[in-house]
Amino acid sequence: MESVLSIVDMHKMYAGGVHAVRGVSFDVKEGESVAIIGSSGSGKSTVLRCINRLIEPTEGEVMLRGEMINTPNADINDVRSRIGMVFQSFELFAHLRVIDNITLGLRHVRKMSRKEAQAEALEVLEKVDMLDRKDAFPGNLSGGQKQRVAIARALAMKPEVMLFDEPTSALDPELIGSVLKTIRGLADEGMTMIVVTHEIGFARDVADRVIYMDKGVVAESGESSIIDNPQTERLKKFLSSISEED
Amino acid sequence: MRETAISQTNSPFKHSISRYFAIVLLSILLVSVTANAQEYRSGWDVVNSGVTSDLFSVEGEGEEIWAFGENGIVLGSQNSGATWTQMESMGPSNLSMSDSGFGAFLAAGRDGTVIIKIDSGSQWEDISFDAGEEDIRGVSLNGNSSVVIVGSNGSIWKYDSGSWSDYSISGVDLLDVSFLDSERGIAVGEEGAILFSDDGGATWDYRDAPSEASSSRIIDVEFYSDIRAYAITDMGEVMKSSREISTPVGFLWNMQYFESEGGSSNLGVNLTSIEVATTNKFLLSGTEGYLSMSKDGGNIVNRQMIPLDNLTAFNDIAMLDGFRGIAVGSNGSILITERAGEDEQVGFEVRDFSEFGNFVDYSKGMLIDGLFATLNIVLFGIFLGFFLGVTLSMMKTSPTTLKEVAQKRSLILVRLFGAVSFIVGFMFLDHLIPIIEGLGLNGWEYIYAPIGIINPGGITGDLQFENFAYLILGVSLLLLGGLFISANGKYKKSELEIFGRTVIWNPWGVRPLNFIATIYTDIFRNTPLIVQFLFIHFGVQIGALIGDPLAEMLDGSTGLITSFLRDDVLSNRACVSAIFALGLNSGAYQCETIRGAIAAIPSGQMEAGRSIGLNYMQTMRLVIMPQAIRICIPPMGNEMVNLVLNSSLAMVIGYSELTRKAKLINAVTFQVFWSYGMVLISYFIVTWTLALILRYLENKTRIPGLGISGGN
Repeated sequence: MESVLSIVDMHKMYAGGVHAVRGVSFDVKEGESVAIIGSSGSGKSTVLRCINRLIEPTEGEVMLRGEMINTPNADINDVRSRIGMVFQSFELFAHLRVIDNITLGLRHVRKMSRKEAQAEALEVLEKVDMLDRKDAFPGNLSGGQKQRVAIARALAMKPEVMLFDEPTSALDPELIGSVLKTIRGLADEGMTMIVVTHEIGFARDVADRVIYMDKGVVAESGESSIIDNPQTERLKKFLSSISEED
Repeated sequence: MRETAISQTNSPFKHSISRYFAIVLLSILLVSVTANAQEYRSGWDVVNSGVTSDLFSVEGEGEEIWAFGENGIVLGSQNSGATWTQMESMGPSNLSMSDSGFGAFLAAGRDGTVIIKIDSGSQWEDISFDAGEEDIRGVSLNGNSSVVIVGSNGSIWKYDSGSWSDYSISGVDLLDVSFLDSERGIAVGEEGAILFSDDGGATWDYRDAPSEASSSRIIDVEFYSDIRAYAITDMGEVMKSSREISTPVGFLWNMQYFESEGGSSNLGVNLTSIEVATTNKFLLSGTEGYLSMSKDGGNIVNRQMIPLDNLTAFNDIAMLDGFRGIAVGSNGSILITERAGEDEQVGFEVRDFSEFGNFVDYSKGMLIDGLFATLNIVLFGIFLGFFLGVTLSMMKTSPTTLKEVAQKRSLILVRLFGAVSFIVGFMFLDHLIPIIEGLGLNGWEYIYAPIGIINPGGITGDLQFENFAYLILGVSLLLLGGLFISANGKYKKSELEIFGRTVIWNPWGVRPLNFIATIYTDIFRNTPLIVQFLFIHFGVQIGALIGDPLAEMLDGSTGLITSFLRDDVLSNRACVSAIFALGLNSGAYQCETIRGAIAAIPSGQMEAGRSIGLNYMQTMRLVIMPQAIRICIPPMGNEMVNLVLNSSLAMVIGYSELTRKAKLINAVTFQVFWSYGMVLISYFIVTWTLALILRYLENKTRIPGLGISGGN
């Protein structure tokens, strides 16, 4: 299968001298869902942000459908509109109603008319089951609802790949289910996605492939079965520390 | 899980804003009930001249007065103008100009007829000469029997010890001449011509008329004293020349702007003559029954009532002292006054300003005028300041560094650009070096060089802002060029050892837009507002620089808004200066306020905007700014209230806003407590209304879940 996204030998050195990512490489194939797991500070969020250049990688290549996107000459706004991103803290535009949050990108990036954009927005809201709250302000939504709107906002742009940056970490346990259900639905539809997550169970059930990162490198990767059957000591230790917490 | 949303109407502003406006309008209407009219009578009295011919000119010394007119009419009075006797006609010519001084009287006609009366005991004597084709327009005595006469084509003749000599120059039609003493005289004419002689009229030098009058007909000049000379144009403009510290009178001429005409330089009448009574008190005559007087050098010119109909054309005025005077005009009209023509109140009684009702009755009209003047500069100032504030705050928060600019281009291109900008910068500075050297500065005095290069010629020279631009651009381009030439493709910061300390040197991290905005805000936030007012109004003269051209662009337009802009804002120079001073200053402070609000927006909002493909400016405009502006409504309210209060400083540049009105009211009534107290209340009403509106806006634009606001 064609690889949608490939990352080759990515390094990120932060201004303070922290070497957060030390040579990470992986491919994401069309329709594949990849889960990145790992403890805090292992560099998994950094990798995600480097993909759509919210952070500039210090070294390495990021290719979107074979096209190098981390050069100063790449049209970064076009690239970003092709990569959907969902944040840990939702980052909905607080001054806009739910529907306007979604139409903003359609109207100003995709240059749709207001009418077209609203029709499109209603469609994605339906998909995430948020149609009935389309005129609410984000401040009046629960965390799970906010995250589903954020997913809808990214989906509306019809991205080629979706990046989820710990989408459920900021949610109360009882709200996580609805968000995970939405993401699972997307995966079932064949959406290409990378999910940085702490939900080991979710990674096992939904992801086609799991990448375990530790100290800025990929410590282990493979089919989702590696969670039940870890090959390396580091992953074993990580998984056991998580189950202890639970 | 579901929560109830706080109900939101579609447009929360609709109803209550209009209610606020209604309240404000109503209160203005309530206060602005006009003061009751008062009865006045003219300060001039009609005197029977015994003739019906037009009188053109009048002169008086002590009790002795002479008037001259059509067909050689000469009227004399020996009792300050009460009764007149007609002399034998001096010939058929119209005697249209005259002068007196050095004990002598003089009159002349446009064809070269000249008569002179050397002292009170002697008779009129004919000293006419042949003027040829030329049209004689002005005469002046510069000695007991010495006369200078000017006319068309630069003709100048001088009569001295019984004979005429020709001192004509060429090229300019002269219209009047006036001598202060036997040496110093000023001649004026068409095309804004002003000439000066300091050798009794033998040689003449050109002086610059004010730029506004450079093509006007200057028809009358009066060289009043060592410290003051006045001249008028036939279009109703007055210009004056004063002695500056080391410059004698007659060198620098300034247009007079009339506060009584809303800051305009034009009285809107056809003037015929000016008569100076004291240094700051002068009378003007004009066609259509126009007589007026100013007691303060022309700031306020009051048109006077006349006891004749408005068809009378007044041709000349003669003042015997500060109060007694004679005006002559068409159809043998002669008016005399003992109060410099000032209107007299009928049934005159001193208003008792110690009664508060009387005081309020007198001052409320002025306060309302002042209030509108204040609102005028405040509103425009707020617009200008807000526009600047938003622009500057965006510049300050712009993330683009030199590194990012350079990285996008190939190294060759970067170095090439560096070389070009280095050379251009060097050329700019090279151009400036002789100018700076010409300033004659030593040592630390060079900190004042920027002022010197903008205006190297002082008050007589033009402002050369391009020199300042050369300085700024030269230095910046030179540094930028040097940096870009030294580029090695890495754009890394380096560590320097200076006196054993490690200093991080990171020129590539400079954000150019931020740098520019910082210079701007630093300048305006580190200088006193009152000095900014004075510098912008008197130094830069932004009214002449920006206001006048804009007003000219709107010339002839009749729209409600455009004509308001032209007449009440742009053509009032003090108003333009005040708007700019307030706006530029407030912009610097608003910039910091808005910047603070931008900084308060979580960085994730920018990331979220960028991640759906919006570019930086789109994200700022659509995501960051709408939230930042809401956050900064309370501190912006402070800024705006500050702006209203700071507008009181406009009084130092002579703009008639509230505080200045209070001063004027106090000057008339001497009620210090009430004058300033009423102004205090007026300010409070304005700023408090503003604060209420802002508080309301803050509530209405509050976003659920954004920020901690107490209420909600």
